[in-house]
Amino acid sequence: MKVSLNWLKRFVDFDLTATELAEKLTMRGFESEVVSDFDSLEHLVVGEVLKADKHPNADKLKLCSVLDGSGTYNVICGASNVDAGQKIVFAKVGAVLPGDFKIGKAKIRGIESFGMICSEKELGISEEHDGIMVLDESFKVGTPIREVLGPLFNAIDVEVTPDKAFGLSHRGIAREVAAIVGTKLKTPINSVKLNPQSKNIIKVELDKRGGCTRYIAGTMKGVKVGPSPKWLTEYLKSVGQKSINNLVDISNFMLLEIGHPTHIFDLKKFAKPAIKVSWAKNGEKFKALDEETYELSKDHLIITDTKNTVGLAGIMGGLDSSVTDATTEVLIESAYFDPVVIRKGSKKLNLLSEASRRFERGTDPNSAVEAFNMIVQLIQEVAQGTLESVITDECSMSLDNTYIDLSSEKLLKYAGQDIPSEEVESLLNGLQIDTKKTKTGWNCSIPTFRTDLIVETDLIEEVFRCYGYENIKSSFNYSSIMQYANDEESTISSLKHHLSSIGFRQSYNNSLEDFEEVKLFGKDAVSVINPSSEKMNAMRTTLHTGLLKNLDFNYRNGCSNTLIYEYGTIFEGKSDKLEDISQKSSLSCLVHGDIFVKNVHFNSIPASFAFLKGVAANIFEEKRLGFKVKFLEKKHHYCHPYFSIIDGKKQILGGIGIIKDSLLKQLDISHKHEVVVLDVDTEIFTDYGTYSTKVEDIVVFPIVQRDLNFKMDSSIRVGDVVKTMKSVNQSLLQNVTPVDIYQSEKDKSFKDVLFSLSFQSSKKTLEDNDVNLIITDIITIISKKFNAKLRDN
Amino acid sequence: MSLNKTIKGLKTSFSKELSKSKTSQELENFRIKYLGRNGKLASLFEEFNKLPANEKPRFGKELNILKNQLTNLYQDALGNNNENSSSNDTDFSLPGYSLPNGSIHPLEQITSEIKSIFQSIGFSVAYGPEIDDDYHNFEALNVPKHHPARDMQDTFFVNPNAVLRTHTSNVQIHLMENQDPPLRHICCGRVFRNEAVSYKSFCLFNQVEGLVVNETSSFAEMKGTLEYFVREMFGKDTKMRFRPSYFPFTEPSAEVDIWNSKLDQWMEILGCGMVNPNVLSNVGYDNKKYQGFAFGMGIERIAMIKYGIKDIRLFYQNDKRFLEQF
Repeated sequence: MKVSLNWLKRFVDFDLTATELAEKLTMRGFESEVVSDFDSLEHLVVGEVLKADKHPNADKLKLCSVLDGSGTYNVICGASNVDAGQKIVFAKVGAVLPGDFKIGKAKIRGIESFGMICSEKELGISEEHDGIMVLDESFKVGTPIREVLGPLFNAIDVEVTPDKAFGLSHRGIAREVAAIVGTKLKTPINSVKLNPQSKNIIKVELDKRGGCTRYIAGTMKGVKVGPSPKWLTEYLKSVGQKSINNLVDISNFMLLEIGHPTHIFDLKKFAKPAIKVSWAKNGEKFKALDEETYELSKDHLIITDTKNTVGLAGIMGGLDSSVTDATTEVLIESAYFDPVVIRKGSKKLNLLSEASRRFERGTDPNSAVEAFNMIVQLIQEVAQGTLESVITDECSMSLDNTYIDLSSEKLLKYAGQDIPSEEVESLLNGLQIDTKKTKTGWNCSIPTFRTDLIVETDLIEEVFRCYGYENIKSSFNYSSIMQYANDEESTISSLKHHLSSIGFRQSYNNSLEDFEEVKLFGKDAVSVINPSSEKMNAMRTTLHTGLLKNLDFNYRNGCSNTLIYEYGTIFEGKSDKLEDISQKSSLSCLVHGDIFVKNVHFNSIPASFAFLKGVAANIFEEKRLGFKVKFLEKKHHYCHPYFSIIDGKKQILGGIGIIKDSLLKQLDISHKHEVVVLDVDTEIFTDYGTYSTKVEDIVVFPIVQRDLNFKMDSSIRVGDVVKTMKSVNQSLLQNVTPVDIYQSEKDKSFKDVLFSLSFQSSKKTLEDNDVNLIITDIITIISKKFNAKLRDN
Repeated sequence: MSLNKTIKGLKTSFSKELSKSKTSQELENFRIKYLGRNGKLASLFEEFNKLPANEKPRFGKELNILKNQLTNLYQDALGNNNENSSSNDTDFSLPGYSLPNGSIHPLEQITSEIKSIFQSIGFSVAYGPEIDDDYHNFEALNVPKHHPARDMQDTFFVNPNAVLRTHTSNVQIHLMENQDPPLRHICCGRVFRNEAVSYKSFCLFNQVEGLVVNETSSFAEMKGTLEYFVREMFGKDTKMRFRPSYFPFTEPSAEVDIWNSKLDQWMEILGCGMVNPNVLSNVGYDNKKYQGFAFGMGIERIAMIKYGIKDIRLFYQNDKRFLEQF
């Protein structure tokens, strides 16, 4: 909310610059920024335009001669409204305007310009930048601008948090300022006394079901709609608001003055001069002041003249009953509406207004009277209206202060240090909270405008923020010995580091994906009912989506070699029931291209299926679980081939596969080699993390190596041969590794496969004979089973 | 006796000739001449065999020493020769090769750093669901259905009662529902906000939150804890301030700013406060007995400050040219 220092001074005397005030308010929980602090602006003076001629080299520019009291300067100006004789704001060379805009000498279309004639926007006063700001003729040339505009336009922007409803007005902020400088609030409002000339009664009827618990109404006649007086427009201007006409301006002024929304109806548009607050019917249409038609529901509280709806309570008045230039008779509303009702109603229509913003945060029912009285008085003063009715005040709520006990023990326990009693009292009293000493602390009387103070901790917060957070001494009691601390995912963390250490880069991808794309991955996707874009309306069901996009992105940017992985949550299930949605951590790797590119030392090494298969075996076997993982071929929706990775207990640890070209095409993923993905079931992997290594005795007897070279049909899978060889002898044959596969160019129906077999006994040094017996068996079995032929080496 | 002399003579000629042998060919010829199967040393051993038995032990010892000496001298010469000449065989100016470099994502690095700072003072790390019900994300945290504070966090809905969590605070509720005080935890993970994607905001970000509940933890302790964190994270001399703010789940609430001397301004890095008693009673804790504090921060924001990153979207684009800088 934009707050004018000048306006604040209607309520409280203080001697702080805008910068100082912003700093002080910020440190009390009202985060503030300076909008304009004329006190800090140097080299800005009242100037007089002596001449304004067309720039010889530019049609839209003017070459002006500006007097600053002591000298005359050439200034180029682009504004169309600049004219000789005007008093203007002259920023001389060396001036720094808001937004760190430095004014220097400049050459514009061949002519030197010494400074600038400012617009309101450049000075931070308003958004007006179509023309320059023209000052009152009475100002003396050469006077520093801070003396001329400072008193009017020094302003700050205050961010009012949702709890502090009382801060949404100049009086509210002034209360805080009074507490800061330790003074009392001036009361320019309460003195108003109304003297109705008529005995007319406006009947007000409230709905028994609630929603509105106070409604003050009265009518005025003889109103003349017209321009506002200068003082009123200047106040509005000081917070960046434009003047519209006297009635609208009065309404706006009051809102910013004391924060209580009011409404002025054109009484002549009423079916009869009465008010009935009730609930809308489902489907009821309402045309609001913003000229939009809204469809209401039974949750909307409405204001009617007993026949027609004239306003959407607390949110916006109706267009048909609004004041126009022709209005002469008005009905003034000042009411208290239930915050939840207003909030619900405005949310449902997505219709927010300055009024609803205040009502939904909670208003002061006592301010309703003040606002009403002031509106009437202002209309009398500014628009010549006279009160035409008795004031009706239908009220069914308490208007008294509430009381909260504050315990000094609790305050101490919360702060962790003592705050002296006198200090506590004076801080609270400064906020207009009266304190009465009790045995355990204080009984505090809460004024009705502090709708945010309900329980004891609310008061503790008030004490702390006024005492100053910086004055509460910090304490640090952790012992130097590391206390028990754990991380459920520390095993995963070591896996990530392992992958990164062998060349993988970790990705972080968006969890929100395009539903149409997610569908291609063949699982039920959880969708978002209010997405910010159609490209992000479903939760990812696999990490592959993101990784493929990373491949595509980097490929298009000239990097085709990709080794990446991501760890994150994937989602699956039907959206309508939370219990049916599965949310699971997952880890996937994707490789494409080369691990090593060709260089002087060796040829390129591809990031192939075999590579990722090795990575997979490695990350599980590295855990020393005493088994080798197995790869079982499975059908997969978008991979071919695809293998499940299983452990000794047939538990699925993950899977590995090559993404089908059809999917890559549908997603338009750029690539030139096979795209291989690996998934790791992180839950099982985490369980493995708890497995503790058991060391086996080192076998001291030597390993005997033998090579066997078989010629076999090309269609035979080498893995099957290895498996069969291993099955021949499980005690001495430790390992079988295919070392070389050769196929002649001429005849591709056969291949030669060279196997390296290693034998070792844990009991003795193996003799040739021990090994030869097994070798003979192997040759027999393999020759027979695979129709293979042993070749001589 | 003559053998004695022969040993000395052999030693002298060996050293002389060895010093003249430079190339690998010369050295090989030298080796054959002296240490080869039919070399000078071998013939010495042959002579030794002819000695009478009583002289054998003495000469045997000497011959063995000689053999070791000569072999060592030759090996040294050979080694030296290699050091000098091998540059002729291998081009050491060629670029080296090593295993490819991978990297840990910058957001992960920052998260790990934060985790370990808090783990060092006894905080455990917890995780929780990213899609949660309205109750755990809002109501239990003292944000009723029709409260203006809901506007502070634009929310994605999966159904009218389930949201993409807007903060990791839902994990606090799950934690407290499942265990009794004392608690000292941090929760990490993704949170979602329905905001327009731009250089400064994304539809999701990562958060780390902390929660301490026991019978004594005070505002002073919260300040001490977070001052420790800021010093560890941003450096010992970091200027910081606590200023009052508002969060529905804490009271009193504060925001922590650190001073950025480059930009000459305060930068907000985290929110914190004393756990609102309503939150404690919502999970069934006795809020007269227990109290505590909570804090939360956005990882992206801290990473952007620390690494000087200007566009938040870079974190989720996974451009190799970006990732390889970490």
